[in-house]
Amino acid sequence: MSTMTPKQRVLKFLKGEEVDRPPIFSGMGNVVVPVLEKYEINFARAHRDPVLMAKAAAGMYREFGFECAVVPFDLGVEAEALGSVMNYYEDVEGLLYPTVKEKVIKTAEDVHIPDDIKNAGRIPVVTEAIRILRSELGDEVAIGTYILGPFTLAGQVKELDELFEESFLAPEKTNMLLDRLSEFIIKVFKVYKDAGADYFTLREMGGTSDVMSPKSFKSLIKPHLIKILAAMPRPNILHICGDTNSIIEDMKECGADAISVDQKNCLPETRKKLGHETIILGNFDPVKVLMQGKAEDVGPAAKGCITAGANAVWPGCDLWPEVPKKNMQALMDSLKSG
Amino acid sequence: MKLLQIAGYLGSGKTTLIIELARSLSEAGNKVAILVNEIGEIPVDGRVMQDYGLTVKDIGGGCICCQVVGSMIGTLKKLAESQKPDIVIVEPTGLAVPGSISDAVKRINIEQLLIIVLFDTSRQEKLLNYDSLKRLISTQLKDADIIALSKVDLGSEDIVEHALQAVSRINPRARIIKLSSKRGDGILEIVKTIQEISVKA
Repeated sequence: MSTMTPKQRVLKFLKGEEVDRPPIFSGMGNVVVPVLEKYEINFARAHRDPVLMAKAAAGMYREFGFECAVVPFDLGVEAEALGSVMNYYEDVEGLLYPTVKEKVIKTAEDVHIPDDIKNAGRIPVVTEAIRILRSELGDEVAIGTYILGPFTLAGQVKELDELFEESFLAPEKTNMLLDRLSEFIIKVFKVYKDAGADYFTLREMGGTSDVMSPKSFKSLIKPHLIKILAAMPRPNILHICGDTNSIIEDMKECGADAISVDQKNCLPETRKKLGHETIILGNFDPVKVLMQGKAEDVGPAAKGCITAGANAVWPGCDLWPEVPKKNMQALMDSLKSG
Repeated sequence: MKLLQIAGYLGSGKTTLIIELARSLSEAGNKVAILVNEIGEIPVDGRVMQDYGLTVKDIGGGCICCQVVGSMIGTLKKLAESQKPDIVIVEPTGLAVPGSISDAVKRINIEQLLIIVLFDTSRQEKLLNYDSLKRLISTQLKDADIIALSKVDLGSEDIVEHALQAVSRINPRARIIKLSSKRGDGILEIVKTIQEISVKA
């Protein structure tokens, strides 16, 4: 019988130490409708209310035994703290993730890192949620948090067409912007660490080879990821979605404790390229497998990730909230039984 | 309920095309719904919506690979139950990869009529040559059934022909239609194609 708590399992695993079995967790958003319904949590409000945010995150462990509690749930926290205006869709029926409706940054000079980061935008909501989770579940469950990588964050604060064009025509300007955003990201991670988070994911979705060429990733984005990962708290994870096989070695060189990839990554090829030392997390499809799949197919799909080369199964992206309860249960049952 | 996906890089003319298609398809007797990333971005006023019986819904934000797809599926299911439109026009974010949306839609048994990807002829040098853009543009174009060369009125015949050759090389399978919202070129051809496919389906 296992004597390891989920927290010990996750943290030891991420440090490369021996564990009784791979943990079942994620470093990205995971909030699901069965939890929201059980605790009567309004999705739109959960992004702005630390008590609801903590309750929804804790519910994944309490209801399913998912071995983590991760906050926040959306991708706009840091952008909002830098001045972007959000739309929370509070009056819209159904589940919609917040969007940035107004971007205010054009150049590095426009990035005003708040003196009081702890109280900027919704950062205090996230830190308070972390404190609540720490106090309620801190001995049992690993508390995770994430921040967007600098290029992805740049796309949340600056108009995308301007960002893409500038990164080709005047990469030195984009570099200055990313440098400033990296400084901000490191500071926010420290705030989350001080609040009690246990592990930290840097999500650079904009670095995917679906969008950026490997050459641009290497020259423009990678140096900033190296800088952030060297300074951010540990254990840490670098996540990039989409096509990542052509940049996987560069991802490793960024220096994270673990690498996370999504379902488009060919795991056997990745494992071959990275060898057996690197911790790879992935990569079941959270929409196709967990949301739309049949319960009986979830276990084989998840176990297939391990066979393909992952050290632990985790979703390729945020869980889409409309996950059927039986699918979530099937995921946990199949992986816990080994 | 059938799905029409209108993709393309930012500023390629997606919104204009969507409005024109929605009007034309409504006039042809179809009940049309539109899914967009940000309702405020689409200039459909209440009068137009009322006159043409259009329903406009938000997709919301999130990671382009999963959250947006998940959100779209949820919204499509609700639309199928409540409004029961004949055609839903979807405008994903300018960074979306149309193929990933198609995969998700297939799994919920909603038929996809076409993927139309717009290519801004007037900005072809940037779109095809900037290292920071050509990967995304090529990914989008490869998924297209129809490539709509937009803003053809802004360039000479040579420029338009150059764009046509370039996109043909990226996706030889796609039908290419020259589009000018200013002159009204191409809209009827697209509507006709949609109707032909819709009848066959």
